Amino acid sequence: MVLELLTSPPVIFFIAVIVSILIFLWGGMIAAKGEKTSGKLAPYACGEDFPPERFRVDVRRLFIYGLYFLIFDAFALIFALSFAKPGVFPIIFAVLALIAVIVMLPVKWYE
Amino acid sequence: MMREALGVVELLVFPGFLFLSWLALYFEWVDRKFYAKLQYRYGPLYTGPKGFLQPFADFVKLLAKEDIVPAAVDRFLFTLTPILMLALAFYALFYVPIVPMVRNVAFGAFEGDLILVIFVLTMVGFLKFLAGWGSTNRFSAVGAVRTAFQLLGYEIPLAVVLLTAGMGAGTLNISLIAQKVASNGILASALLPALAISIVCFQAELERIPFDIPEAEQEIVAGWLTEFSGRRLALFRFATDLELTLAAALTAALFLGGPYGPAIPLIPVQVSYFLWFMFKTTVIVMVLANIRALFARLRIDQMVHFSWRHLLIAAVAEAIFIQVLLAAGVIA
Repeated sequence: MVLELLTSPPVIFFIAVIVSILIFLWGGMIAAKGEKTSGKLAPYACGEDFPPERFRVDVRRLFIYGLYFLIFDAFALIFALSFAKPGVFPIIFAVLALIAVIVMLPVKWYE
Repeated sequence: MMREALGVVELLVFPGFLFLSWLALYFEWVDRKFYAKLQYRYGPLYTGPKGFLQPFADFVKLLAKEDIVPAAVDRFLFTLTPILMLALAFYALFYVPIVPMVRNVAFGAFEGDLILVIFVLTMVGFLKFLAGWGSTNRFSAVGAVRTAFQLLGYEIPLAVVLLTAGMGAGTLNISLIAQKVASNGILASALLPALAISIVCFQAELERIPFDIPEAEQEIVAGWLTEFSGRRLALFRFATDLELTLAAALTAALFLGGPYGPAIPLIPVQVSYFLWFMFKTTVIVMVLANIRALFARLRIDQMVHFSWRHLLIAAVAEAIFIQVLLAAGVIA
């Protein structure tokens, strides 16, 4: 009973987080305490004057790749769930996915 | 009661957290030493025999350095990402058979843990993106975007080849796949192309040359890691070592049988598990180090094109090949 509890995924994850936090806190205990100056707290920029900024992701490009990612994630999932019945259907499905990537990749979507 | 006590020992000491930490530092040492040898350097030399304790010394040194949190960063993400990345790297290793003890499988093994480990690998890549995004620095921003593109590139071929091993063995439990591969020579040899693909993908996952585009130090300082210092950087470094361990252990388990192998006479079975595991994973880490020494860095568009046009097609072709073998009844 205790062993089942110990080997269940949430318990292992919880203990892993605890161990990581302990290492983090240990680092805080032994770390050197320096003086906080404004230069030290500025973003790293090799001596140039870069203000801190949040960037914007190029959505169009990411969207195209995100679409491919979605198609193949669905492929991988269905593929993963087909293992009880190997043979014709997983092969047809994989060939369709392969044709999709061969046909779709050369298309310039956003230029 | 005995089994429970053994379970606690297995979770915390062997092959739990303590042993995994040792293993991660050992693989970093193997990687650095072998990489140095290939370049006619000595590599780590002074700390411990042949510099064996150098990774540990580096870790403690970095942990004890001043921890600077720049004024503009997202403090929540800045603290969360190193801790969560280390925790996830530890977590995934409990599903990979290293030295099976109480239950003769990996500590947390259950049916379907392969999908969990694939999910964790994606989460680690996503955390790198978040870490760069929360840093509000140009170098980090460029590194984070490159991490995201690289993730989209290698993730699918990697998932397909890892699942292919599961298809071939007829289960999604990593430990059972390893047992099946170790006892079935036809399956193991049919999975050799998948082994090659997964090694290339893990090289990209670990952001090592030629896929170190997100932290290209000659272009963008340290990429998504630029703003991190002190204990946060130490945690990231340690998590990367654990990821290397995970890559080696997972590849060994799925394609080479992991700790399972022909019994070595005159020694207990657990010791033979340990020896087989160390042998297989050390060879894989050396191959990864060899790739690092052979190539120069690619551009991000070259990397993405390479993985979508070649790696993915090779991975799907390998999956079809395994399915054909299964349908023909070659793999029993």
